[in-house]
Amino acid sequence: MSVLAFDGVSFSYPDADRPALHDATVEIGEGTFVLAVGATGAGKSTFLRAANGLVPHFTGGRFSGRVTVDGRDTLEHAPRALADAVAFVPQDAAASFVLDRVEDELAYGMENLGVDPAHMRRRVEEMLDLLDIEPLRRRSVRTLSGGEQQRVAIAAALAAGPRILVLDEPTSQLDPQGAEHVVAALQRLVHDHGITVLLAEHRLERVAGFVDLALGFERGSVAVGEPAEVIRRLAMGPPVARLGRLAGWKPVPLTVREARRLGGRLAPFELPGTRRATPGERLVHVRDLHARHGDSTVLRAIDLEVRRGEVVAIMGRNGAGKTTLLRSIAGVHEPSRGVVAVDGRAPTPGVDVALCPQEPEVVLFAETVADEVSSTRTARGLSDDPAPLLQALGIAELASQHPRDVSAGERVLVATAAIAAVEAPVLLLDEPTRGLDPSAKDRLALFLRSHADGGGAAMVATHDVELAAAVATRVVILAGGEVIADGDPGAVLGDSTVFAPQMTRAFGPGWLTPEQVAEALA
Amino acid sequence: MHPAAWIVWATCAGLVAFTTTDPFYLGLVVAVSWFVYAAQRVPGPTERSFRVFAIAGLVTMAVRTALVFFGTVDAGSVAFAALEGARLATLLIVFGTFNAVTDPFGVVRLAPRRFHEPALAAALALSIAPRTIAMVGQVREAQRLRGMHPSAWRALPALAVPVLETGMEDAMTLAESMDSRGHGRGRRTRYRPDPWTTGAVIVIATSLMAACAFLLAAFTGAGGLHPSTFPLAWPAADPRLLAAIALLLVPASLPRRTNHEGASAR
Repeated sequence: MSVLAFDGVSFSYPDADRPALHDATVEIGEGTFVLAVGATGAGKSTFLRAANGLVPHFTGGRFSGRVTVDGRDTLEHAPRALADAVAFVPQDAAASFVLDRVEDELAYGMENLGVDPAHMRRRVEEMLDLLDIEPLRRRSVRTLSGGEQQRVAIAAALAAGPRILVLDEPTSQLDPQGAEHVVAALQRLVHDHGITVLLAEHRLERVAGFVDLALGFERGSVAVGEPAEVIRRLAMGPPVARLGRLAGWKPVPLTVREARRLGGRLAPFELPGTRRATPGERLVHVRDLHARHGDSTVLRAIDLEVRRGEVVAIMGRNGAGKTTLLRSIAGVHEPSRGVVAVDGRAPTPGVDVALCPQEPEVVLFAETVADEVSSTRTARGLSDDPAPLLQALGIAELASQHPRDVSAGERVLVATAAIAAVEAPVLLLDEPTRGLDPSAKDRLALFLRSHADGGGAAMVATHDVELAAAVATRVVILAGGEVIADGDPGAVLGDSTVFAPQMTRAFGPGWLTPEQVAEALA
Repeated sequence: MHPAAWIVWATCAGLVAFTTTDPFYLGLVVAVSWFVYAAQRVPGPTERSFRVFAIAGLVTMAVRTALVFFGTVDAGSVAFAALEGARLATLLIVFGTFNAVTDPFGVVRLAPRRFHEPALAAALALSIAPRTIAMVGQVREAQRLRGMHPSAWRALPALAVPVLETGMEDAMTLAESMDSRGHGRGRRTRYRPDPWTTGAVIVIATSLMAACAFLLAAFTGAGGLHPSTFPLAWPAADPRLLAAIALLLVPASLPRRTNHEGASAR
């Protein structure tokens, strides 16, 4: 029996010139793990939000067809009337919190449903354990790291005991280990408790191997099918799928295990020097850096040098100090001890160093994407032609659009353009891959490469091991505010169980990208 | 501590400030508030509200005093206005302390079921101010990194637009989240009501004693609650009333909310 059914659903947002969903017909059974894939703007979010009636109740617009949740029509039932059947976790978990204390937030949905207090108490304890957040129970949700917030939001949604759990990019802010925890928890819900999980995700390497069913979105149309088949048709997929396409394997592998079986064992890739940049002169010099955040020490005795031509990936758990390191280098976080020098002197924000913050929203204010770039350039007294930079980031065609009307992934690119427009030699990006679809990620990787090749240096704090594998010339891993690994990506990522990219997992240390492997196999 | 105890503390401290314009008493209430804030602040966005309300208090006092200069100016009327302003400022600081040491949503949970919705709306409205201030900080930093100077008038849109638009987007997400989680279905139960502790009872008792002392003084005219400004005279302070204000320090001595240390690194 289906718990969620879309029957010929079409939907257009008010004032939109084309439908966001077009004739979607999908039936999802009980206890199914469903993945929604597709480029940003292809209709995934609209579909997810239609599953609990937020579309059209909160959006307006033209809606036709029928969505039934647990037998109830979403046009006749508002989201609150469906709250016992379907739970929704939006992409921006932090903005979805209603109360302040973690424990209270978990209970909020159950309080609204009138769940008996004794049962509620037991349920909260179970959720704290299931998502591994017991130590956070009395904390304020506003003081948690992004990954912790995401887990709390999932626990809060689950606590109300829905039959369907809908999540919009639930792992986008999580470190690889945290993402594995979440995916494993979701899988357990599906297998052991018969809950249907529907999630949208761009980092397919994290989920593709676990799902039962995939929905492929392309310009508002939905195709339903086997994950392998849908992903192959969309020409998307995790790095192993990319390798499968390059090597002409059929069907395209979705997991490391399948790829290993198809590719066989490869000799270890030549270490060192997987992607060694010709080291230029020293741009960033960090010596004995200590930094505090309120009462706690976030960075301890960091020594780091970055040279021209390098793209350095900064990795590490949520809360390891990545953001503080970037902010210290940018000169906006005062070190408690130690020295940061950029090009031999204390950094001037916006002149020597450009830092794009985690939330692109805090940057954007102009009427158009082009204006966003020109206003930075005017403020810095540079020629105000935005075209070359937009070209370099592959967003030239968005020039006349409003920066907040573009997709989440494109917003990141626009904010990056607005910040990078100062033409500082050192470019810092803080977790830029949130909401980025593969095509936007490729554009960002190209941009970083060309910035480094043009004599600059780039540092990227990221949880995305595949981005690091694709673009970094060096990887630095932080833990507890200290540098615990620093070196060639092949060596550092190849040596790690947590941060190893898919190619390393499948074919051994040193193998980083599908392109390298395909070439070796050919 | 039980939110009801905080409500009693703040009301009593407010009453004390309300009954007097004596700078010694008011000064001591401000000092006590600061100690309570320092000892009991809840990490998070509301933490800033002490500073925000303290600044608002100073501004109020300055404006109240400046208003005198539109009329007959003499030392007495300036002093009178300044003391009136100081009283308002103290009230604001007490309120700021209350905000910084309580979780507004803990207070909501005390509301009877039928007042739950308006109370929650009020708490959400209160939580917007500190969040907006935090957001302004982030936006200023981001624009500084673009080489813009956020103090210039021309840069005002660069500061205001992201704050307002993101605020709108967040409000929308919150409204959707509340509805998706069954807000407004009309039936409610309550999760783990806060337990009463000995500390909370002591705070209530001592706070009431402080307030009663001042109310008594106000009714009997004892203690020099309102120093004379016509003619201008040096204010006096009754040690018994100073001791009564010191009773408001009790919450500062209680253990802080547990498990709250070490806000995570970002």
